[in-house]
Amino acid sequence: MSTKTIRVATDVGGTFTDLVCFETDTATGESRVITAKSDTTPPNFEQGVLNVLDKGGVDPSTVDFLAHGTTVVINALTERKGVKVGLITTEGFRDSLEIARGNRPDFFNLHYRKPEPFVPRYLRRELPGRMSYRGEEMRPLDLSALPAILADFRADGVEAVAVCFLHAYANPAHERAALDEIRRLWPEVAAVSSHQITREWREYERSSTAVLSAYVQPTAERYLTRLSDGLSAKGFAGNLFIMQSNCGVDSVESVSKIPITMVESGPASGFWGAAELGRLIGEPNVLALDIGGTTAKCSLIEDGRVRIMTDYWIERDKRSAGYPIMVPVVDLVEIGNGGGSIAWVDDFAKLHVGPQSAGAMPGPAAYGRGGTSATTTDANLWLGRINRDYFCGGSVVADMKAAEAALKAVGDRLGVSVTEAARGIIRIANNNMVNALKLVSLNRGHDPRDFTLVAFGGGGAMHAAALAAELGVAKVVIPAGASVFSAWGMMMSDLRRDFFVTHLADLKTGAAAEIEALYAETEKLALDQFATEGIAAGKVRFLRYGKFRYQNQEHTTEVLLEGPITDARLGAIETAFHEAYEREYTYRLAAPVELVGIHLVAAAEVGKLEMKARPPSGKPASAALKGRRSVDYALDGIQDAAIYDGDKLEPGMAFAGPAVVEDSGTTVVVHPGNRVEIDGYGNIHIRLKN
Amino acid sequence: MSGFDPVTFEIIQNALEAVTDEMFAAQRKTSMSAIIYEVLDLGSGICDAEGEIAASGAGIPAFVGVLDKAVKRILDKHPAATIRPGDLFATNDPYWGGVTHLNDMILALPVFSDGRIVAWTANIAHWNDVGGNVPGSMSSEATEIFQEGVRVPAVKLFAAGVANEAVFDILMVNSRLPDFLRGDLWAGIAGVRIGERRILELIDKYGAACFTAALEDFMRLGERHALAGVARLPNGRYAFAEEQDDGAVYRVTVEITDDSFVVDLTDNPPQKGSSNSSREGSEISAQLAFKAVADADAPGNGGFYRPLKVLTRPGTVFHVEAPGAMGYYSEVEIRLFDLILRCLAAHIPDIVPAGNFASICGTVIGGPHPDTGRHYTIVEPQLGGWGAMKGRDGNPAIFSGFHGETYNCPAEVAEARYGLTVDELALTVAEGGDGRWRGGKGISVRYRVRADDNFLSVGYTRTRVPPWGVAGGGDGTPNFVEVLRPGKPAERYAFGTNIPLNRDDVIHLVTGVGGGYGDPRERDPLAVRRDLRDGYITPEHAEAVYGLR
Repeated sequence: MSTKTIRVATDVGGTFTDLVCFETDTATGESRVITAKSDTTPPNFEQGVLNVLDKGGVDPSTVDFLAHGTTVVINALTERKGVKVGLITTEGFRDSLEIARGNRPDFFNLHYRKPEPFVPRYLRRELPGRMSYRGEEMRPLDLSALPAILADFRADGVEAVAVCFLHAYANPAHERAALDEIRRLWPEVAAVSSHQITREWREYERSSTAVLSAYVQPTAERYLTRLSDGLSAKGFAGNLFIMQSNCGVDSVESVSKIPITMVESGPASGFWGAAELGRLIGEPNVLALDIGGTTAKCSLIEDGRVRIMTDYWIERDKRSAGYPIMVPVVDLVEIGNGGGSIAWVDDFAKLHVGPQSAGAMPGPAAYGRGGTSATTTDANLWLGRINRDYFCGGSVVADMKAAEAALKAVGDRLGVSVTEAARGIIRIANNNMVNALKLVSLNRGHDPRDFTLVAFGGGGAMHAAALAAELGVAKVVIPAGASVFSAWGMMMSDLRRDFFVTHLADLKTGAAAEIEALYAETEKLALDQFATEGIAAGKVRFLRYGKFRYQNQEHTTEVLLEGPITDARLGAIETAFHEAYEREYTYRLAAPVELVGIHLVAAAEVGKLEMKARPPSGKPASAALKGRRSVDYALDGIQDAAIYDGDKLEPGMAFAGPAVVEDSGTTVVVHPGNRVEIDGYGNIHIRLKN
Repeated sequence: MSGFDPVTFEIIQNALEAVTDEMFAAQRKTSMSAIIYEVLDLGSGICDAEGEIAASGAGIPAFVGVLDKAVKRILDKHPAATIRPGDLFATNDPYWGGVTHLNDMILALPVFSDGRIVAWTANIAHWNDVGGNVPGSMSSEATEIFQEGVRVPAVKLFAAGVANEAVFDILMVNSRLPDFLRGDLWAGIAGVRIGERRILELIDKYGAACFTAALEDFMRLGERHALAGVARLPNGRYAFAEEQDDGAVYRVTVEITDDSFVVDLTDNPPQKGSSNSSREGSEISAQLAFKAVADADAPGNGGFYRPLKVLTRPGTVFHVEAPGAMGYYSEVEIRLFDLILRCLAAHIPDIVPAGNFASICGTVIGGPHPDTGRHYTIVEPQLGGWGAMKGRDGNPAIFSGFHGETYNCPAEVAEARYGLTVDELALTVAEGGDGRWRGGKGISVRYRVRADDNFLSVGYTRTRVPPWGVAGGGDGTPNFVEVLRPGKPAERYAFGTNIPLNRDDVIHLVTGVGGGYGDPRERDPLAVRRDLRDGYITPEHAEAVYGLR
């Protein structure tokens, strides 16, 4: 008889593979928490996972639930380590993948470089056959050329085939027929068709999605097989779930078919964690910020819900159009600004921070590994915000001479002192992050003052209070275990799938039946899929969103719909759309409203962790005080700050800034005037004066 | 520097760019017309109190330079003392600060702090129909601006926050597509208002004096970039003349000194038809060329353009006088942009690539939707091939130098929205643009019309004189439009207005291959084999031109 439930989450990052393990006593609900870190082991990433389990002393044969997040897909894409893909598409459209959308984001630049297609022209082939936008067959599919195409692909060393036909989102029959025939003629090849991944329109985006999915499929399948086999060999008999970009987890079988859905699994678990944390502590509206070594990522959670979208692109920035992947991904903004971001001065004496990063090697100058560029971390050290005698949890002796020299070089170019340069770096870095947070809030019609900032990752806690002050946010929460928060988020995830289907319908009497049928049909599809995973229909929860717009517009606004769609309720739905639209865009129109598609969320709990709060310990915060030091708060001046040992903070403790909380993974900078309180889960709540 | 802290300046300057991006996003998402939300034929910006452009958002590079000129004209007509908080101005008339043509509506909102104007937020967007002789309002046959639609001569759309309903009513009644016009107008209003809100927040935080000083500092930064860029260019006086498709000859002289860049356009043909540009429009072409060669990365603000001088002569194609028409101003502007680049190409070959398809290739198609019966209008620019440069082939299928962060319309969306069938969207394999590095490919699009009583209007240049090759590279290929009617010979067009189309007629749009760079015989044989394998060239061509055996 088992008295313990063991849940484990492992997160494979660029440098480290993280582990969080909760050993929960089923009788008392009390948990013992184990965390561990080991090196990531490319290209055999599964080895790193087995290593970290070993290091944490977790016996795989005792684990009930294992969630796993990985960067294997995004790495294969950005490092171009996928396989050779052949694309089969509708007659007249083989060049769609290369034509793309024709945009030049870097528009003054005559030397702009258009992204190269993942499939060269000779491997893009066409078949006759045509569907209309209403899903009617205009011309039957002719497969007679397919054997010769596949023979060419084989001869050219193709390892995966993608199929994308025009209007397959409306009627996938031709794609299904072609895919069946490919599987019959060439069973070993990895093959995917666009409608299996997305049922939304736009042929270039769908082609790109199918191609990139095919590109990573053999690599990802191999990875997942080795991981399952490796765990089984060590006696693991529990359920293995893989983190998805939509903040849910999914089964290995399902992910192996469409591995592209893992593309943003790392950030997704952190943002989901922030949403779950918000639910736990009664903060439904959260701005989530994850600051790592090279980037900062942020996302907005409203009413406990993460926002999932399908207009996701890789390698897209001000210099490049990038590549679209039309899969459900948590709505996030990522900027090149982390602890290792390099500060530099341009030819016109302007200070910048990032996007170049010193990375792990040589790292910030203070690592003493030969780095000569000043980074945000060096500035934080110089200003006393990071403890120079407890750098990286005491594992690194801070090379302050190197940090000073690097900061002085920046100061000299600006004509200011080392300290002024360090302050400038912090302010510019903070400003970059404030702008990113504005993009997910203000630019989407939300006022950041209505939100609580939840900051995590290695650097989140250092900057959060300053960012909150700038944005007018009243409260910051630094989660317990902020540096391994993403792994915690994974453990809180549901088995979740997001279905997006393009379907045009005018919102007028008589339309409800058709719309209701579409939801019902999609719900049935979801239930069938869950059933194959052994999940009973009764356990599945649905959220129905409609994507609406004024007639003739293009961009849609999502509205959550409660209950069945009937003609009687269309008026209320339309009103809800007008309100959502007006909030985002400042006005509404007396124009007809149309439905452009549906977004259905299907989710089921699979062994999710239940957190239990501890009562206040009654000890004063002074029990955790480990000293005082002078800290430079940039705009808030130099202050004599109380330094607290994060590992000794207990529920109910409270104190005021100026202060710094330190543990081995995190430094929390508390500004003058801030009030701090520790909750029953060990989270640090910082209230601002605002 | 007036006691303000440079990091604060930097933070305000970054914020300005973020605000214009937000203005842009808001307008784009709420627009009714595909030309705005999909083609992104719009621009947004912030000007200082005097109307100098301080920051601009994404969209069309050619639109960025419009807003400052519009605001300055508004200030000419409405002295600052007469402007009140809550006023919002509109102008589309090139003779009243509109710069381009009547289809482009500019909205400008003065931002007040303590009773003084501290900045302007402004945007411009292409409206599908503003009346005039033809649907879509742009006619290649127009000779006077009166034939091109309703004129809005820098008037108040809102006065002290109160809508001037008369202007709204006049605009609506003059358009063939009033519902689109209303939606697009409100999208523009939302854009300038969001910009105003954000600027007021900045002023609230940093104070108006600091905000103004940050703007001035930003202008000086732009100017310093420009001067550094000019100093890198070889001094000299460079003259160039180019024959156009219609036989006219356009001439330019560019004189570069240590600290100035003067574009002389005085020796050019008299204005004619609707292919003319306002003086301000010609300035924008020169600004774009100047930006591209001096410093493409610098902030494109008013300060940056201080070293640039443009000389024109009234009554010419580059300085039209009232009441000259200018529906197709954009083809004149892009010809001028291309002409200046070509003039400099031989002297700064590492900066200027070989010629590209260099036309908006404006295409207007309209008629009843065969399934819904609703009237539709497509107004779209086309993608084409870009020129090769030292070290690499030209880009295939991207927008011209006048359309930057602009998107083509997916075939799936076009078929649903317009009820046309898209038979083909492909790269063209026309022979041309050969070189050690070859030109990028243009496109071939076939729209099949599904209903009677549709129409087509087009305005293409580079239809006879192809994109130029550089350093021994071959010329590219021209742009053109064909109408293919069942059982009839193909009709070929460069300019055409209201060409009737009926069921099963096919519109075939073809854009040019860019020019090549260097001797084709020096091309890497692997690259030649790759082109052969990809079907871009024939074995005969590979042997005859590239010497491949």
